[in-house]
Amino acid sequence: MLEIKKLTMQFGALKSISDLDITVNKGEIVSVIGPNGAGKTTLFNVVTGIYKPTEGDVLLDGKSIAGKDPAVVNRLGIARTFQNVRLFLNMSVIENVMAATYAQTKSNIFSSALGLPASRKEEKEVRAKAEELLSFFGTRLTGYRWEQPAYSLSYANRRRLEIARALATNPKVLLLDEPAAGMNPKETQEITEVIGRLRSEKDLTILVIEHDMHVVEGISDRVIALDHGVKIAEGSFDSVATHPDVVEAYLGKGSADRK
Amino acid sequence: MSYLGQQLVNGLTLGGVYALIALGYSLVYGVLQILNFAHGDVYMVGAFLGYFVELALGGPTKSFLPVPLMIFIMFAVSMIGTGLLGIIIERFAYRPLRKSSRIAPLISALGVSILLQNAAQLLFSANIRSYDTSSFIPSTLGFSIGDVTVDSVRLTVLILAFVLMFALSRWVNKTQVGRAMRAIAVDRDAAVMMGIDIDKVIRWTFFVSAALAAAAGVMNGLLLRGVSSGMGFVPGLKGFTAAVIGGIGSIPGAMAGGLLLGVVESLTQGYLSTNFSDFYTFLLLIAVMLLRPNGLFGKKAIVKA
Amino acid sequence: MTEQTTPENLGIGTDEWVAQHEKRLSRRAGLLGIVDFLNQKVSPLVRYLLLAIFAVGFGALVHNLYLLRIAANLAVFLALTLGLNVVMGFAGLLDLGFVAFFGFGAYAYALTSSAQLNQHWPTYLSVPAIVITTAFLGYLVSLPSRRLFGDYLAIVTLFFGQVFIQLIISSDSITFPGHEDSVDITGGSNGIPGLDQFKLFGYTFKTITDYYWLLLVVVALLLVAITRVDRTRVGRAWRTVREDPLASQSMGIKVNNLKMLAFIVGAAIAGLCGTIYAAIQNAVFINGFDMPLLTLIYAAVILGGSGSIPGSILGAFVMSVLPEILRVQNYSEILFLTVLILAVAALSKGWKRFGFNASLVILLGLLVKVISSALSLATTPTSTWAVGPVSKALKYWLLMPANRILWGNIAFVLLIALIANYSIAKERVKFYLLPLIAFIAIFVWEVRLVIEPNTTRQLIIGMMLVVLMIVRPQGFLGKTRVEVL
Ligand SMILES: Nc1ncnc2c1ncn2[C@@H]1O[C@H](COP(=O)(O)OP(=O)(O)O)[C@@H](O)[C@H]1O
Ligand SMILES: [Mg+2]
Repeated sequence: MLEIKKLTMQFGALKSISDLDITVNKGEIVSVIGPNGAGKTTLFNVVTGIYKPTEGDVLLDGKSIAGKDPAVVNRLGIARTFQNVRLFLNMSVIENVMAATYAQTKSNIFSSALGLPASRKEEKEVRAKAEELLSFFGTRLTGYRWEQPAYSLSYANRRRLEIARALATNPKVLLLDEPAAGMNPKETQEITEVIGRLRSEKDLTILVIEHDMHVVEGISDRVIALDHGVKIAEGSFDSVATHPDVVEAYLGKGSADRK
Repeated sequence: MSYLGQQLVNGLTLGGVYALIALGYSLVYGVLQILNFAHGDVYMVGAFLGYFVELALGGPTKSFLPVPLMIFIMFAVSMIGTGLLGIIIERFAYRPLRKSSRIAPLISALGVSILLQNAAQLLFSANIRSYDTSSFIPSTLGFSIGDVTVDSVRLTVLILAFVLMFALSRWVNKTQVGRAMRAIAVDRDAAVMMGIDIDKVIRWTFFVSAALAAAAGVMNGLLLRGVSSGMGFVPGLKGFTAAVIGGIGSIPGAMAGGLLLGVVESLTQGYLSTNFSDFYTFLLLIAVMLLRPNGLFGKKAIVKA
Repeated sequence: MTEQTTPENLGIGTDEWVAQHEKRLSRRAGLLGIVDFLNQKVSPLVRYLLLAIFAVGFGALVHNLYLLRIAANLAVFLALTLGLNVVMGFAGLLDLGFVAFFGFGAYAYALTSSAQLNQHWPTYLSVPAIVITTAFLGYLVSLPSRRLFGDYLAIVTLFFGQVFIQLIISSDSITFPGHEDSVDITGGSNGIPGLDQFKLFGYTFKTITDYYWLLLVVVALLLVAITRVDRTRVGRAWRTVREDPLASQSMGIKVNNLKMLAFIVGAAIAGLCGTIYAAIQNAVFINGFDMPLLTLIYAAVILGGSGSIPGSILGAFVMSVLPEILRVQNYSEILFLTVLILAVAALSKGWKRFGFNASLVILLGLLVKVISSALSLATTPTSTWAVGPVSKALKYWLLMPANRILWGNIAFVLLIALIANYSIAKERVKFYLLPLIAFIAIFVWEVRLVIEPNTTRQLIIGMMLVVLMIVRPQGFLGKTRVEVL
């Protein structure tokens, strides 16, 4: 489904990613772990077209998408969330989701300005779709919350809304950047279930960056560990978590020996 | 041939003035990423200050000081006074907005520009003043290379412009504040973490950029262009354009952009048409933006996700 | 499902929190809070209905040509404000060439409907053609900055405005290659007089009243169209572009196309306004399409609240009524004193303090008056300046020195310095500064500003832009509360 081939991303003298190969199969949930600065977010930025890779390629269903405009990449079927949550804060909750249906809808300014039936119908459909997507998170983002401005949401709800917004673009592949960051244990548990349901109910292929090992353990078919832009381990959660290089990357040099 | 040479000399002189203005835009942009729309009006204030110093020293004809000293004092007072104005503008109109959206400081700058222009109009009336340079520097003074004459006013302006540009490069590269300024331009967060006093650097940046604009304003007066409250708009626009052509934020870019703009303007006026010279400059701007969107010396902008 | 109480979700995002949030806002914002309150309580439909009734009533009942002309100009200005609101409010673009599109529309109408080039196109042909051409021109201007919109758009459009003016002024003697004589296309700085009137549906527009009704229809249609667009797909996408272009792009929204679209829509609206304006004026002159108008439109959009349609209406009203008021000394004095008293009241925080401040101002004035007469300073004879009731009342209290310009200028500089100082002063110092500033402001106003209405208006606009950006960047009716970095 998603293939990353010999990818290198260089900023000046710094290689954030070097010579990275990753394959994600259809319907898989793959987690990417690694210490801060390992290049995980950079990987997402390259895949979604925000950065053009220095070398290497990114293939979606066998077609190259590397260096394409982010909007084009999204339209081809890759949606994402951001580590630092980038919602449209001054727009309402439901508008955040409705806005993301832009690429699949057709009303132009003339049909909207004239209030043509087609445009009204589409507006209704978009609203219904947004409501349905928001109800994916149970009662957390439903009812009166729809019309609330996004900035009034709690941190956890912002993360949920960001996922709903990404879903509204009808992706095939979903990239989640630290979805459980800043959440309490209960919310973390919830988001773990949500990620599982995303695959089963929405038929998605998911790539997750996550620091919380419980989440990683709970969701992953496969785990990939990065350090300094290089893949240091790949495999099942257990094999990666106990891999000496991974332990060393997290705890510093020498700690693997001491253990 | 002599005509071309003459136009080139005129163009370089004009370009020196533009370059000094452009540097102000680029310095501020480098540090704060805002376009200081009020810069053209700061330049206007500089020209007025120079004019009043000239009057205070006895006026163009009856000065009690030798001419070089008088000119020196005009530049010094105007640059320092206007530099302080730059600091004040930053303190009251930009600093409160440092954490707000991109567009707020631009609007605030627009407001400052209107304020300065109309305050000048209120205080100094709408009359157009003149430095009347020709009555204390005879236009016959000067030298010629072949058929091309460089009168002493142009020569003074040209030399001063280059001296100031050189001094600025030294300042940026050799002093602590200058280096801190470049550090902030490269990566603000990192600079803060390294313990750089951002406020101090920003104050200096505004001081220097306003002082350079003031120097340009005094030069403009010496070159016998009128001094009035609305005089800042067009040179401000040209300086701004020069900075963009050179690559906004880049110091050598601003210098090169200014000189290029001056020469192009002078040549188009000389050979094509006086009335449409701005149009040709505009075409140059468009061409640069289409072919080199980051300017001649600009680096590619980095998006941070 | 009950939420756990942790610092993360401690009530945040619940009904109570939102309710409190609204309350906190109006309480914190003081006087502006009342605006917020009204903004929330009166439904938009009611507001528009009242406005429509007022506008129709005005057209039906008022026959004063001066007032009708002001109203027509206001309508043009309002339409322009709505147009700029699309560009700058919805999409967040700094278009500094906006008035050039307005001017282009006006000149295009003049050239196609006058003896200048001997063209007399029918209105139903010229106006749509001009609107489309202006839109296309907008497209061309937006092209060079398409990759790096932001600041680059500002320079290109600012320069475009300048070039437009230069081209119009200089195109009065163009010599085409292969021709001997030069032709006068634009009339240069003399402008083009004697334009054809609009002729629509077999009806020729003759009076200003005709245009008033036309404008009413145009503005109403524009309002409906823009409101609809704002609420639906494209409007939402514009707002995402303004909020966070990167996130917007990552959601499949082609940011640059949307920016261009906003820019083009703005240009088209400006072009349309230009044609109507030219027809009303019956002539075009280049100096109407310059920076002062641009700043006035920006001030209107920003004052009302960038991005807010009711805000644009409010801003356009204030900004076009303001110059009319300032032009008449008596009105300008009343307006000034009202605003000053409100401002002092708001800053005094409490009626006792306000009373104290007011008495201090009065004492200060008397003191200055007494000292000046003790020193027997030369004054301006009251008969020459005390014209309206306000100044007649003030003459017993306010010193009016003989050299108004000099003293007025000194006081003006002092006033600016004090206001600047006030903005960063400690509370205790502010306490003493306020009455002093109020007194000097009255002095400056009466002595200096009242005789320079045009400069004063510009000073007010400039001051307003700076202060508004610092105090309330979202304007009066704007909803934006969180600024995105
Ligand atoms: N736009 C950029 N310019 C320069 N360096 C960058 C940029 N984006 C990321 N980096 C660098 O790349 C490295 C990896 O960062 P990132 O991908 O954010 O790490 P993480 O694994 O924590 O998500 C860091 O050293 C970071 O400083
Ligand atoms: Mg990261």
